[in-house]
Amino acid sequence: MSDLIRRDPRAEWIARNRLHPLHAAMTAATGEVRGPSGLLRKNPHGVGFIGPNGIKRIDRLGGSVAAVGGRRGAAKAAQVVELPLHVVDAPDFYVVTVLDIVGGRLGSHDKDVLGQAHKLIRDSEGSGAVLAVVFGESKEEGFGLAGVDRLLQLDGSEYEGYSPEQRLAALVEVERNFAPRYWLFPDSINGGNELGCRLAARLGERPATQAWQVDTQQTLCRGAGGRTDITRATPRLLLLAEECAEPVDEARHEARVLEPCSVAQSLVRIQDRGQVAVDPNAIPLAEAEFILSAGNGIRDWDQFHQAAELLGATEGASRVVVDDGFMPRPRQVGASGTWVTARVYLAVGISGAIQHMQGIGQCDKVVAINLDAGCDMVKRADLSVIGDSHAVLQHLIELAQDYRLGAAENAA
Amino acid sequence: MSSDLNIVALVSIGQHPKSGRARRAEQDARAVELGLRLAGERVQVLHAGDAADESLRQYAGMGLKSLRILQQSADADAVVALGDYLNEHRPDVVLTGVRAESGESSGMAPYLLAEKLGWPLVTRIADIVSIENGEAQILQALPRGQRRAIQVRLPFVASVDMAATAGRQSAYGPGRRAQLEAMPWVETADSERTQWQHAPARKRPKRLKKVKATTAAERFKAATAKSQGTGGRIIKDQPAVEQAQAIFDLLLEEGVIR
Amino acid sequence: MILDWLLPVLISAALALALAGAFKRASLWRAGQPESVNLLAGLMAMPRRYLVDLHHVVERDKYMSNTHVATAGGFVLSMLLIILVHLFGLESRWLAWALLASSVLMFTGAVFVFKRRLNPPSRLSKGPWMRLPKSLLMFSVSFFILTLPAAGILPDAFGGWVLALVLLVGVAWGLSELVFGMTWGGPMKHAFAGALHLAFHRRPERFNGGRSTGLKPVDLQARVLGVEKPTDFKWNQLLGFDACVQCGKCEAVCPAYAAGQPLNPKKLIQDMVIGLAGGTDAKFAGSPYPGVELGHAVGGPGQTITEGLVNSDTLWSCTTCRACVEECPMMIEHVDAIVDMRRFLTMEKGNTPNKGAEILENLIATDNPNGFDPAGRMNWAADQNLPLMADVKQAEVLFWVSDGAFDMRSQRILRAFVKVLKAAGVDFAVLGDEERDSGDVARRLGDDATFQSLAKRNIAVLSKYRFKRIVTTDPHAFHVLKNEYGDFYPNGKGGDYEVLHHTTFINELVQQGRLQLDAFKGGTVTYHDPCYLGRYNGEYDSPRDLLKALGIELAEMERSGFRSRCCGGGGGAPITDIPGERRIADMRMEDARAVGAELVAVGCQQCTAMLEGVVEPRPVIKDIVELVSEALIERAPAPKAARVAEVMS
Repeated sequence: MSDLIRRDPRAEWIARNRLHPLHAAMTAATGEVRGPSGLLRKNPHGVGFIGPNGIKRIDRLGGSVAAVGGRRGAAKAAQVVELPLHVVDAPDFYVVTVLDIVGGRLGSHDKDVLGQAHKLIRDSEGSGAVLAVVFGESKEEGFGLAGVDRLLQLDGSEYEGYSPEQRLAALVEVERNFAPRYWLFPDSINGGNELGCRLAARLGERPATQAWQVDTQQTLCRGAGGRTDITRATPRLLLLAEECAEPVDEARHEARVLEPCSVAQSLVRIQDRGQVAVDPNAIPLAEAEFILSAGNGIRDWDQFHQAAELLGATEGASRVVVDDGFMPRPRQVGASGTWVTARVYLAVGISGAIQHMQGIGQCDKVVAINLDAGCDMVKRADLSVIGDSHAVLQHLIELAQDYRLGAAENAA
Repeated sequence: MSSDLNIVALVSIGQHPKSGRARRAEQDARAVELGLRLAGERVQVLHAGDAADESLRQYAGMGLKSLRILQQSADADAVVALGDYLNEHRPDVVLTGVRAESGESSGMAPYLLAEKLGWPLVTRIADIVSIENGEAQILQALPRGQRRAIQVRLPFVASVDMAATAGRQSAYGPGRRAQLEAMPWVETADSERTQWQHAPARKRPKRLKKVKATTAAERFKAATAKSQGTGGRIIKDQPAVEQAQAIFDLLLEEGVIR
Repeated sequence: MILDWLLPVLISAALALALAGAFKRASLWRAGQPESVNLLAGLMAMPRRYLVDLHHVVERDKYMSNTHVATAGGFVLSMLLIILVHLFGLESRWLAWALLASSVLMFTGAVFVFKRRLNPPSRLSKGPWMRLPKSLLMFSVSFFILTLPAAGILPDAFGGWVLALVLLVGVAWGLSELVFGMTWGGPMKHAFAGALHLAFHRRPERFNGGRSTGLKPVDLQARVLGVEKPTDFKWNQLLGFDACVQCGKCEAVCPAYAAGQPLNPKKLIQDMVIGLAGGTDAKFAGSPYPGVELGHAVGGPGQTITEGLVNSDTLWSCTTCRACVEECPMMIEHVDAIVDMRRFLTMEKGNTPNKGAEILENLIATDNPNGFDPAGRMNWAADQNLPLMADVKQAEVLFWVSDGAFDMRSQRILRAFVKVLKAAGVDFAVLGDEERDSGDVARRLGDDATFQSLAKRNIAVLSKYRFKRIVTTDPHAFHVLKNEYGDFYPNGKGGDYEVLHHTTFINELVQQGRLQLDAFKGGTVTYHDPCYLGRYNGEYDSPRDLLKALGIELAEMERSGFRSRCCGGGGGAPITDIPGERRIADMRMEDARAVGAELVAVGCQQCTAMLEGVVEPRPVIKDIVELVSEALIERAPAPKAARVAEVMS
């Protein structure tokens, strides 16, 4: 629930109606009131409210008054439930999870892996602790809530960027120090899969990959590129699929930070030369995150290209536009062009032929700019703007320019 | 690029995701494609398995004169055979796919081979930009079309991502004429795998939003709440400035404006 | 007089040169691949093929037909008589008079040729062809005058030496153009090569009113698959190229040429001639490929065609609509040649442009061009309760669903057809997931290996069941099943069934009174002939009869029937997607708009898709079966109930 201030029509009505029995109580000034002489005045009767059983109540915490004054949302926000703290002082064994920490925060996949770790501990004898290994800096504060008992943060400069060999060396060190009962990795393209496989190869373990149903006895994992299910004995090293287990939500864990173990600097054979600036238009359409797509409604192509450049969007197009030669064929989105997976698909002047709608089926958020409010694209879109695309694009360009300017100033 | 590069591309028998029919694997085809672009026809394409498999011809149809096959039954451990072969021949670059399309498809093969050979492994590469003075400049594929530049000394193993240039069209004629050089090879049985059970993939249940409600009112609300899938917001009859602002806000909220 | 002894010398020299040229030309053709042709029977049949079948095509243009009869007839007659009169010196008044008459006839024809050449349409080649009417006139006039003494009209020694010299020049010119020019590559080459081409045509079935449109299978064990060099063509294909008269009828009807794609069938055939003889296209005097400059194409018999002679884009522009073949007065097979060269590009080079490679890969891996799950082929009919062949084993009619099963628009057509079948009480069944793509697209894209694999597996399935007829809504599948599967049946002839297009079949049902149709209510309707139904299979009437049965008075487009313009969807053209200046579908829609059509009736899901791709507003596109199903008066299920009652009693 948001902290929005909501209007309460009933309260307003009472405030206007001086004969209303609640008028006096409701109109009690909440802010400062100054008397005719300019002195600050307090109305002792205005304090508190009449409770359900007719008795006047004074809430000195100030929490519930807001409920009458119209700020209902705040009541809820106040109720932060303190979950019980789960402490493992002397663990019998460790389950090590190596987390992705995309953008310095726990992702849902990470949380699922932690949930799986606790599920394995619950099913085993003895008290186990979940040790989370995190590389690089993290902004996350909710490790405890996500189920981390011990936190090993390795954020030296040697772990920066793409450093699989150094990270592997650290994991080998962890293996030596903690001899974990299970190694859990998210089977993701954000590094979890790679590290897991590297460690498995180093330790000579045969990992279960794309595991999606795991207990201490058996593991069910996907094989043959997702076409088969393999049932096998649970190995020591697991690469877990997304949603393999429910994340932890019933207890807090202490997330005790461990002293980083000393790891020898490994020989750097793979040198990270940094991320390469990729022109949005060089990104394959199928992979692009943000697509600005042009349809028959576009008249000013220079403006469209400018908008795409300023917004940092990959350009897409409808079939008609490609047929008419305004855009090259590889830009065509749709069943007969490219099937796209963008998170945001901004369709300008595309009414949405069935083939086109098929092609954007996997997009998260669709935004439409169109003259026709009844077209299929508008029906599909999460946000539709009905109007002249030229004008809207022009303003979008201005907004983007202002934004970029502002960002530059902030940076300076 | 030096022309005496010794490049080996490892290929497996793929499987079409819809029909399940054997075919050339998409990532392996990309590995062959990359090899062809780096070393031309001298790229060596290596497969451990059954030489009689017709899908190998689809690799050959990419313009290969020959394919080398370490002859073994389809369920033997290919990594052992490939490792032994590579250890013996020691090429400069070994290219593989990221994950096989059939069998266990764990994606471990490149890791195991790199470990066995003691070579660095670069994962998910999109391209090899150049190889000069024994150093390769590589572009690694990151999610959402991003790229990372990587430098590595020869020899190395690299797994080729789907972001790499797609394998060229396989032509029937050359594919039929190419030589499949089958070499008898010591077979290592994959004993662990024989104990596994394989079944067609079950559909995984979609995770439901679990509501942890402490009060009756919350439970009631959770039970009666409308589903999220309501129609989108439509902004009509407003000045274009405000419409643009609404779109821009959404773009910012989604974090696609950088 | 000088002419008395010089004339026979000139004539015999010309004849000798012609003979030498003929041998030289024949050796160029013989560089092609062997193809067994019944030479004698071909030569025997040639006059008839020339006078009847070819004339039938030429006669579509009355002016040209009459002109040609006069000129060619006059020339052939004259030449025979010249040999008798002037070479052998037969002194007969009758012969001389006949020669005079024939040269007058030839002269008359030549005058009309001359007139046509005064302001020739752009499709006609210029260059040496502009010289031809003058040569014809010169020949006929010279020999007319020369024969006057023999006819006794003028004294032997008339004129004097000046006239003799003039006549000598005329005779030499005429003879060189018309006699040995015939075999040394002048415009008259068409007469010599054309006659032999008709005799040794690769598709003799086309004569005597027959039809032969199925592509010839590739021998997959051959040294090279498809045509790489001109010498990879069959010898009689090379001969066919030489028969071209450069009349440009093909150019005028080619949809790709009109759309500004880099294809001109006439130029393509001339490029093949360059290929077989060696040289460049600098002297080509017709319209070039749109957007391609003349003078850069170089070729020779042993050179790869697509490296220098013809750009591969030219080959991929073709929609295989056969309009050029239909129009060609010399019965040249352009489409065969194009597909032969495509076969090389696809099966040897692996170079199918744009989406081609993906489509072929899908066909190999999933038996449908878009890579859908082959087990989902019947999803469209989940609510239709269709009998499966695998269950019923036999049926009167096998409904060949085709790949339209995967396309949402085509599914509407399929549903409509099922409704009609059920309404007529037809005993039918479908193959379900056992059906595969017919292989049409694979074959037109040059992948005969995939086509043959699909065909053989389809045939194996078809052979399991018993049915009398296959009916399909897809003219491409119809053509392939009917005309191209025969080569792959173990018996080499084909299956024991009839293949019908749905319009033919429904028309039959209507004629038999098994369907009750309401009258169509709506505006002006026109009908677009699908190429693979019309030109490929000659079915022009059933769709029209059916529309008439619906009470529709068709507004025929200018290009309809055998002259129908392609929608642009055939031959894998939407897949290879060669850019042009216009889209073929847009041009076709203009044709429809020109007759004020509000609805375009079609009989092909590919046409439907292409024409519906035209930006609105445009006429509505509907398959005929959709119109029929809308107009269907569903009878009460009385007969069935009655039968049940009988059984119960």
